[in-house]
Amino acid sequence: MNRILSALLVVLVACMPANATVDDALAYALEAAQPYIKEGFTVREDYWGGDMAVGQPKAITQQLFKGNEYWFWMATDVKSARISVHVYDSDGNLCEVDARQKGQFASARVVPKRSGTFYIIVEIEKSPQERTHWGMAYGFR
Amino acid sequence: MKKSLLPALLCLAITSHAAPPQKIDVSKLPQQSKLVEDVIVPVPSEIFGVLDKLGRPRWVEVLRPIKNVAKPFGEQPQVALYLGTVIAEGFVAVEAEDADQVKKIGRSVLSLSEALGVSKSVKKRANAIIDAGDQKDWRQVRKELDGALSEVKSGMAELGSDQLSQLVSLGGWLRGTEALCEVVNGDYSRDGADLLHQPVLLDFFDGRLEGLKGRYRRNALIGKIREGLKDIRPLIGLADGAVISAKSVKEVGVISSNLVKAIQSKK
Repeated sequence: MNRILSALLVVLVACMPANATVDDALAYALEAAQPYIKEGFTVREDYWGGDMAVGQPKAITQQLFKGNEYWFWMATDVKSARISVHVYDSDGNLCEVDARQKGQFASARVVPKRSGTFYIIVEIEKSPQERTHWGMAYGFR
Repeated sequence: MKKSLLPALLCLAITSHAAPPQKIDVSKLPQQSKLVEDVIVPVPSEIFGVLDKLGRPRWVEVLRPIKNVAKPFGEQPQVALYLGTVIAEGFVAVEAEDADQVKKIGRSVLSLSEALGVSKSVKKRANAIIDAGDQKDWRQVRKELDGALSEVKSGMAELGSDQLSQLVSLGGWLRGTEALCEVVNGDYSRDGADLLHQPVLLDFFDGRLEGLKGRYRRNALIGKIREGLKDIRPLIGLADGAVISAKSVKEVGVISSNLVKAIQSKK
């Protein structure tokens, strides 16, 4: 009977939706964004997320506008992981004016000098897991 | 096997505490990053806020007031596009601080969402738009409009209507672009015109329309929009920093306006 129960648990856990941990990562990212709302930032109701292997960064292409100030808030639900987010302009120049890392959180601030295409590079720098879930929100003012 | 991003970065040892490279070669970014799948379409307020900083737009004149609650017509792609234009109009109504229009738009969002089968997902947001409009809580209206957009798209994705969900964003982008052109036409500035430089969004929408299948792809309105986007592309500055002239702004305005009219027309 115990063997049957154990097998059932294994099946149940295996069937748990993977998105549950991307949602957790996103929840952390939105938590990081909260204090900025009082500073006048509008946090978008649309997000990025997924899972990545360590040391294999992903580039996200995004339209940004001169005249706005942007923050990108990234997080993972893996507390011992270390992540990073950096922003480059369309010529490939690092253009963030501020970038922070603290444990499972990372963020970057951009004040675009011109409207156009930007590349947001997100990376899992260190993690105990083979693939680590991450989420990212952005805001502007 | 996925290509690594590492060749695009300068040859520095990237340790967990290393500073990021000052420059990367964007031409060597992995193909998946160039597929622009991850683009989040900006909401109109992201652009309208900049216009407010640059001058004093006459938003009341830009607003296209709706007389009655919008009713769906035509095929599903048109309804999806129409919904997008209505949500964008909501952002204009917020700028114009027109509470009555905001409430009509909230009801219209619900009406059109029903036709797309996503009213359940959107009902709460639509009612929140109406309530916030009633209280003239413009920040909240913007938040709820953004949320409505997001929930329409996720609701449609759940129904297996991914293709249609992106048409909502496209409709919103077209109406937003029309409004942007109208403001910049009224008071041209290089910085205002530069807001039109959105090559990544044109690529994104072009890719989505290219990927439409079957009867959606053959839809006459979709064909018209594809042509319109092709006509817009050379006008919005091919390189970063290129000056977008007043003439180009006017032309983009005409194209986007004609497309919005076509979306909102029963013909």
